[in-house]
Amino acid sequence: MSIRELISQFGEKYLAALVTTYKLTLSAFLLAVVLGVVITVFRLSPIRPLRVFADFYVQIFRNIPGAALLILLVYALPYLNVVLSYYAAVLIATALIPSAFCSEYLMSGVNAVAVGEIEAARSLGMTFFQTIKTVVLPQAVRSSVLPMTNLLVATMLTTALASQVPLNPTDLTGIVSYINTHAVGGVTAFAISAALYCATAVIIGRVGNRIDRKVRILR
Amino acid sequence: MKNANSDIRRALYEAPGPRARRRIVIATVLSLAAIAVLAALILRRFYVTGQLDRRYWSLFTSASTWRFLGEGLWGTLKAAAAAGAVAYLFGLALMLLRLSGTRALRWIGAALTELSRGIPTLLFIYFFFLVAPKFGLKLPTFWKIALPVAISASGTVAEVLRSGVNAVPKGQTEAAVSLGMRHSAVFFKIVFPQGFRFVLPALISELVIVLKDTTFAYVVSYADLMQNARVLISNYDALLSVYLVVALIYILINYLLNRLSVFAANRRKRGEAFNE
Amino acid sequence: MSENRSALAPLIELRHVDKHYGSLRVLKDITLSVHKGEVVAIIGPSGSGKSTLCRTINRLETIDSGEIVIDGEVLPQEGKKLAELRAQVGMVFQSFNLFAHKTILDNVIVGPREVLHTPKKAAEEEAMRLLKRVGVEEQARKVPAQLSGGQQQRVAIARSLAMHPKAILFDEPTSALDPEMIGEVLDVITELAKDGMTMVIVTHEMNFARRVADRIIFMEDGAILEENTPEAFFTEPKTQRARDFLNTLKDRDK
Repeated sequence: MSIRELISQFGEKYLAALVTTYKLTLSAFLLAVVLGVVITVFRLSPIRPLRVFADFYVQIFRNIPGAALLILLVYALPYLNVVLSYYAAVLIATALIPSAFCSEYLMSGVNAVAVGEIEAARSLGMTFFQTIKTVVLPQAVRSSVLPMTNLLVATMLTTALASQVPLNPTDLTGIVSYINTHAVGGVTAFAISAALYCATAVIIGRVGNRIDRKVRILR
Repeated sequence: MKNANSDIRRALYEAPGPRARRRIVIATVLSLAAIAVLAALILRRFYVTGQLDRRYWSLFTSASTWRFLGEGLWGTLKAAAAAGAVAYLFGLALMLLRLSGTRALRWIGAALTELSRGIPTLLFIYFFFLVAPKFGLKLPTFWKIALPVAISASGTVAEVLRSGVNAVPKGQTEAAVSLGMRHSAVFFKIVFPQGFRFVLPALISELVIVLKDTTFAYVVSYADLMQNARVLISNYDALLSVYLVVALIYILINYLLNRLSVFAANRRKRGEAFNE
Repeated sequence: MSENRSALAPLIELRHVDKHYGSLRVLKDITLSVHKGEVVAIIGPSGSGKSTLCRTINRLETIDSGEIVIDGEVLPQEGKKLAELRAQVGMVFQSFNLFAHKTILDNVIVGPREVLHTPKKAAEEEAMRLLKRVGVEEQARKVPAQLSGGQQQRVAIARSLAMHPKAILFDEPTSALDPEMIGEVLDVITELAKDGMTMVIVTHEMNFARRVADRIIFMEDGAILEENTPEAFFTEPKTQRARDFLNTLKDRDK
């Protein structure tokens, strides 16, 4: 099947699939960052149970395979009378896993802040929150740009999990198996999806690099 | 990592005074209570839905269950090991392309790396499962999962190796060249081994990603841990307990791989300190 | 009358200060007063506790017992009060500790802006004046990593001056510097001494201490062994330990 035939037959479906993948990627990424920030605050807190809990959380979600997590959410949770929509299950799975990595990146961003600079801020008479606001956060955020860019790409790749559950409209990966079971899409269907994923990843990478170069801290 | 975290924490929160100490104690008690309540609620959920029932868990007391899961795990590990090995090979090839003297080869290397890193593993799996057979490329089931997983990891491996090679000081090359070594010999005998040692921890971590990706083996019906779990589930009608245990096994193995990576990193750091 | 009393009362006072790390006693019953306008140099072998002592004065290090009084107020253990007292005592570190993500100018104005709530324009004008005073006004738009160590340390001094501190603590301000840059930093500190700034200086620069200090404190093993005028200390130290210490320095300089 040629590209033209494929697009005339499945063009709208492709567009919908692209939108699904982008929508999932963005919402999962935002959720992951929010969760990641909370978990990082816990891990840095002077309150031990919160630290232990957060470390445990990170170990679980950075080590569980996406497929295993999705299967638990979709097929196991109903046994506990918790029934999620397919979309919600995919969204949660694709947010929880990146959230653990997000926290790891933020931790190394915070760790990159020199202890001496925190002491200097304190010596100027800054309170805890002033020190966080003027020294710790700006530096941690600026040194997290590249890892966060990678995280956004990784989140997008994780959203391919959506192809494992019946979603309508399906995502960019799901549509390849859809077309291949409904028509002889062959290599073209694969190539279109691959190109869309890859182009998105490359653009994200370029933008991230540009921002990083602008805000990188000389040490 | 652990030590660095506690250092920065000590810096963030200076030594507490009496009021801060009191607050920390109160917060500790409250958070412990909150975590206990959360755990109790989850356990209660299991209880009221009958999921704590013996019949869901008794299968784990029989040796045959573990033997069967063990067989599945063996399948997982074989696929992961093969995929990892191929990923390292492909990654090495991609890196060599990117460092080659020919512009076109460099460009191809960069493009292939971007493709590998920018496309989800599942899409590669569908390619070899659905698309490739139509062109007469029929892989054995084992490679239907191992090959796409390897391809998907190879781009990252290439980037990791490249960053290692770039981290080797220029003086090393210059010194070797001045000794009259050939360019390729300098690379393979001097630069690459050092760069490889720099990034060994990252290469081990990459195995975690490979191992996680092999869970898609069910797509191609390869008998891995996940697949054998399914068989257990249909035999015992115990979905929740089996999937939970299997997820824990994956988490544990990946955790151990990560520890191995940290161990390798620490050993390298110690080695450096010793050399200084 | 009250003015008179405050002029007589010490600006910084340590009373029977003790500190332990586990079983190691790093500060032993330290009692010390620093009056307004006085320059006190703390010297001693490394590991003698002189840096720790300096850092306890604004509670970057905690103490286990004793009391630290700054301008008549006992140093609080936490909270707003502690921050307020810290704002009144400048600190210059061995490793400069400039904020890596801020320009030189921003490094100097961030304290006044955040803590004293100085309007931006006024803070910037004063910062430029201070940068000029320490001789780095041309670097104002650069970031710390673009400056030499000596320049960074002079910026760090300007940063603490911007807070109009009652006193400045120097924790080995030249120990991390290349030899050719030590002079430029010591010159700035010498100028401050001439202007009557109250200073506590932990240093290994003996000639500088002799020239600038009003009083020398000699420490070893966490205790103050000798308190003396520079002249007396360097010509006829009272204790054998101090004599030994000065002799090892002389031997090293040969």
